[in-house]
Amino acid sequence: MNNVEVSHISKSFDGQAVVSDLSFDIRAGEVFGLLGPNGAGKTTVIRMLLDIIRPDSGRIMVLNRSLGEVKDSIGYLPEERGLYRKLTVMDTLMYFGSLKNNQSEERTLALLEKMGLLSYRDKKISELSKGMQQKIQIIAAIIHDPDLIILDEPFTGLDPVNMKLVQDLILELKSEGKTILISTHMMDKVERMCDRIFMIHRGNGVLHGSIGEIKSRYGKNTIFLEFDGELKRMPGVKKVNNAGNYAELILESGVDAQAVLKSIVDEVRVNKFEISAPSLNEIFIEVVEGA
Amino acid sequence: MKKYFLIAKHEFKTNVKRKEFLLMTIGMPLFIFAIVALPVLFIDNIDSEDVKIGYVDATNSFHSQDFVKYSDYESAKKALFEGEITHFFVVPPDYLSTGEINIYSTKKITSTVSGGVENQIKGFLLENLLSGESEELVERVKQPMKSEYFNLNKDKEEKEGIGAFLFPFGFAMLFVLSIFTSSGYLLQGIVEEKENRIIEILLSSVSHRDLLSGKILGLGAVGLAQLLIWLTGALLILSSAPVVAIGILGNLQISTLLGVLAPIYFLLGYLVFASIMAGVGAVSTTLREGQQLAGVFSMSGVIPLFFLQFIIMSPNAIFARLLSYFPLTSPLTMILRLSITEVPVYDIVISLMILIISTIGVIELSSRVFRAGLLMYGKKPTIKELIKYVREV
Repeated sequence: MNNVEVSHISKSFDGQAVVSDLSFDIRAGEVFGLLGPNGAGKTTVIRMLLDIIRPDSGRIMVLNRSLGEVKDSIGYLPEERGLYRKLTVMDTLMYFGSLKNNQSEERTLALLEKMGLLSYRDKKISELSKGMQQKIQIIAAIIHDPDLIILDEPFTGLDPVNMKLVQDLILELKSEGKTILISTHMMDKVERMCDRIFMIHRGNGVLHGSIGEIKSRYGKNTIFLEFDGELKRMPGVKKVNNAGNYAELILESGVDAQAVLKSIVDEVRVNKFEISAPSLNEIFIEVVEGA
Repeated sequence: MKKYFLIAKHEFKTNVKRKEFLLMTIGMPLFIFAIVALPVLFIDNIDSEDVKIGYVDATNSFHSQDFVKYSDYESAKKALFEGEITHFFVVPPDYLSTGEINIYSTKKITSTVSGGVENQIKGFLLENLLSGESEELVERVKQPMKSEYFNLNKDKEEKEGIGAFLFPFGFAMLFVLSIFTSSGYLLQGIVEEKENRIIEILLSSVSHRDLLSGKILGLGAVGLAQLLIWLTGALLILSSAPVVAIGILGNLQISTLLGVLAPIYFLLGYLVFASIMAGVGAVSTTLREGQQLAGVFSMSGVIPLFFLQFIIMSPNAIFARLLSYFPLTSPLTMILRLSITEVPVYDIVISLMILIISTIGVIELSSRVFRAGLLMYGKKPTIKELIKYVREV
C-alpha cells in the first residue's frame, strides 16, 4: 500500500520551472530518502506534500486522502528551524500538538524523557543549547503521533551522540509502522537507513528505487581502498575520490580490478582492498556531474 | 477547538505577557495620573493645611476673623520668621487710590500657592470694601458670573462643556494607541515567525486563512483588553481625584449615536490596520524593514491628529469630510467629529460604506499577499512581483 502518491506534479515560480513532471510513491511503513543537490527542488516538493504551496499541475494523495484533510496526520521538521524563544519547552510542544488536534501531556513527557530533555521541560527555549533546540523540534514534529513523518535534514548540527539518538528514534518510528520521508545530504545515513530513494536534480526525477536496485545498475565497478602512502594516477581508473588514507577508485568499464591492485601495491602499502558497487555518494556525484 | 481559535488564544496569551505590553498598558494610566491628578491633590493640601496669612493695615480700616493682624511690618516679619504665619501682606495708606498690595513670604512663589493666597486676600479686601452692603451683593461681586454654553438648533438645546469634547478626545487617543499597539504586535509576530521559520511549522498545521484570522482575532483581543484596562484605570483615577472628575464628567454627554458608532469604527479601524500589518509582515524580511513600511500606513492613520484644530474649528467642512471618507483616517476623524458636532447622516453612511468595503478589500488583498509572501525569505518582492502573486494565489 502506498502512503504517498505523487503523479506528474510541476511547479514554476516566476516562469521558471522548479519542479517538472515528478512522479513517485512512498510505501506505508518505509523510510524513504528524498535526495538531490542544493536547489534541486526538494523543499518545494516537501512543501507541496504539506499543502503549504500547491502544484501548478499534477496530483498528490497522502494517506489516501486529499491534502486539506490530512494535515493533522503529518509531522514535519523543516530544514531551517526556529522556535518561540520566550516560550517554555512544555508550552511550545503543547501548542504545536494542539495545532495538530492532538495534545497529550503524557506523550510529550515521554518523548522528552526519551530525548534526555525531561529536566528542561520548564526552561525557556532561549536557555537551551542549539542541539537541544534541534531535539525539541524533532519532538515537535512527532508530538501528535503522525502516520507520515517528513524530516528535512534531521541530522545537521547534531553531535555524534545526538545523531545516533535521532537515528534510533527514526528506526523506532519505522518499527511502529510509521512512514518516514527523509531529505538529507548525508549519503551514508541514507544508505544505512532508507529502504528506497528518489533523487531529483534541477526539478527532474533522476533516480527512483531501492538502494540495492540502484546500486546494482552501476555494477561492481568500484574499489574501496585503505592505504598508507601517496596514491598516483593509475591506468584503467576513471576517477579517484581520495580522502588521504582512504579512497574510492571508480574503474573504466571492462577493466580488471586485479590489474589495478597490481599497479597500486608498487606505490602504497595496502591495508584493505574491497571490490564493490559504488557508494550512494559516488552515484549522487556522478548523477549530478553527469547531468 | 477550531484552529484559528487556538492561534488566537496563543497570540493573546503570549502578547499580554510581553514586557512592552505591560509597560504601555500599566504605565500609561500611571503617567496620566501623574500629570493630571497629582497637582490637584497638591493644591488641596496646600490650601487647607499649610497656609496661614497675616496682614499689616496702614489705613486701619480692614478687619478679618481668618487673618492675623500685626501692628507694623517688622512685627509681621518676625512672626513670619518664627513660623507663626506663612504669608503676610501690607495694605498701604494710599491703597484706595493705587490698589497696591505687597505680599511677603519665605516660600518661593509657585502659581498654585500664590493663586490660592491671592484669592483669599482678594476675598478679604472685597468683604472689607463692601462692608455694610448685603451679603448677596458681596457674593455676587466676588463671582459675578457662572457661565454655561448651550448649543442651539431647531429641535433641542444641549448643554456643552469642555468635558463633552475632552472625554471623546481622550478616548480617541487611547483608541488609536491601542489599534497601533496590537497591529504593531501582529506585524512583529509575523516577521519573527518568518525570520525563525516557525511559519513553516504553522503552515504545515493550519491553513493561511486560519493563521491570519487567528492572529487578527487574538491581537484584537489584546487591544480590547488594553482599552478596558485603560478605561478602568481612568475611572480609578477620576474617583481618586474628584475635582478633575467633576470637571470632566460633570459636563459629559456622550450621544447614543456616538456610543453606537464608536465601537463600530474601532472594530473596522482595527481590522483595516491589522490586515495591512499582516500583509506588510508577510512581505518583510526583517523587523526593521517591516516597521519602516508599516510606518507609512500608521502615519496616515494619525493624520487627523495633526489637523485637530481644523477639525474642531469646522468639523463639517470639506477637509474634515474628506478625512472621514479615507479608510485609514476615517475611524479617528469620525469619532472626533461625532463628539463635537452633529454630523450629517449621509456623511456617516458614506464613510461607513467606504470603510466597510475597503475593510473587506484590504482583508482579501492582505490574505493573498500573506499567502504569497510568507514563504519568500531573504528577498523582498518588488511591487510588480507582488501584484503577480496576488493575482495568482
